[in-house]
Amino acid sequence: MDKKDLFDQITEVTRNTEDLLNKLHETQSAMVEIMEENAELQIENQHLRERLKQATAAENEGTKNTKYGLSKSLQNLEKLYASGYHVCNEFYGKHRQDEEECAFCLTVIYGDR
Amino acid sequence: MKFTIARNTFIKKLNAVQRAISSKTTIPILTGLKIEAEEDRLILTGSNTDISIETTISTNDEEAHLNIESTGAVVLTARFFGDIVKKLPDNTMLLEVKDGFQTTITSGASEFKINGLDANNFPHLPEVDSQTTITLKADVFSEMINETVIAVSNQESRPILTGIHFTIEGNKLSAVATDSHRLSQRVINLPEPIKMPEDIIIPGKSLLELSRMLDDEIDTITLQISENQALFTFDETLFYSRLLEGLYPDTSRLIPKESSTEMEFEAPELLASIERASLLSHAGRNNVVKLTINAANKQAIISGDSPEVGNVEEEVVTKDIVGEDLEISFNPDYLKDALRSFGHTSIKMAFTSALRPFTLVPTEDQENFIQLITPVRTF
Repeated sequence: MDKKDLFDQITEVTRNTEDLLNKLHETQSAMVEIMEENAELQIENQHLRERLKQATAAENEGTKNTKYGLSKSLQNLEKLYASGYHVCNEFYGKHRQDEEECAFCLTVIYGDR
Repeated sequence: MKFTIARNTFIKKLNAVQRAISSKTTIPILTGLKIEAEEDRLILTGSNTDISIETTISTNDEEAHLNIESTGAVVLTARFFGDIVKKLPDNTMLLEVKDGFQTTITSGASEFKINGLDANNFPHLPEVDSQTTITLKADVFSEMINETVIAVSNQESRPILTGIHFTIEGNKLSAVATDSHRLSQRVINLPEPIKMPEDIIIPGKSLLELSRMLDDEIDTITLQISENQALFTFDETLFYSRLLEGLYPDTSRLIPKESSTEMEFEAPELLASIERASLLSHAGRNNVVKLTINAANKQAIISGDSPEVGNVEEEVVTKDIVGEDLEISFNPDYLKDALRSFGHTSIKMAFTSALRPFTLVPTEDQENFIQLITPVRTF
């Protein structure tokens, strides 16, 4: 293989790589779009479900909203905790390592009041 | 500096001091052991940045056969020096430091020459000038450490939880440790009320080293506290530990005040059951066992299920069950550690709900020792 061939080959490989990179970027931005849409839909879905629950709850009144009788704000904390974050004063907002349970958080959510 | 000493005594003291010396330190002189000969005693010192240990051998000690010919001080690399002293042939050894800290160790037909360092470069031990002195029974304190140190966190990301939190109220000394997954609290009664200026947090690692040094021969141990150091004194040994700075989280609210289900059993029986159940939970991905309590039938069943491996189910021998039915899952390793710390005794386990931490206390003496474990949510 002489020098010219080598040079041509490198140019080609470079072009291919650039193409690939562009495609990767495109796919990435497409993915981000889809994820954003997904998150939006999830939130919307959740709102609709709550709406539905309210509607049905209005029909058969008198039943407590959750099985542990948590208030709305505590339910939010519970949701945060379940998605893997600390909600206790000590480590608020930190990621729970390996999903390990935290006694402080559980006391905040389910503790005596 | 020149002295002769009985090797047995010297090795014993050397081992104690070596606990503080680490070969992996960024400060070279701290890999060394400081030997200081005064008119009537020999002082050995070792230190890392967390703990420092100083011990004294007196010329009055009959077993030591200590004979100091000339005074002085030197720092010798602890690892070599320790190995050399342990392998020397004769019962007595002679150590002599010449110009340039060249040190000669002679015993029987063997002679070592090793290079020492200037003892003036060795860091000074912290000064602890405190009016408060707490005297404790060594065996009780050692037990207290071993019972609480199991719950200390080993994650450096939360430095404050790597320590044991000591507080004094009246004549009660309490020690608490938690890694946020479990908690262990032990209270001991002091003979008389003591005023301690503040609560203190001592690193769990330091206390573990200390408890290993407390053997049967040691009767009492005294504790003094300064701003950032704790000093433990026993026999001729001084043990310094750094204190952890910061506020320890309020742990009293973690312990549930009421319970809906209670279960009584012998610690070794449940320990054996848990050990069997954990054989499978360790093999699986999530390390969890489930406890199912049927209060009406006075029945408690431990089960472990690992889809890839298989499952186990076993009925636990209990003495009594009262309250509501319950299904609760938890990490068996935490319960194993807790049960081991109780030894052979009868235990009361109290639950509030499947989502809240549960507690274990000895049936006798329910006030002074409590272990708390956080359940695992399984949905």
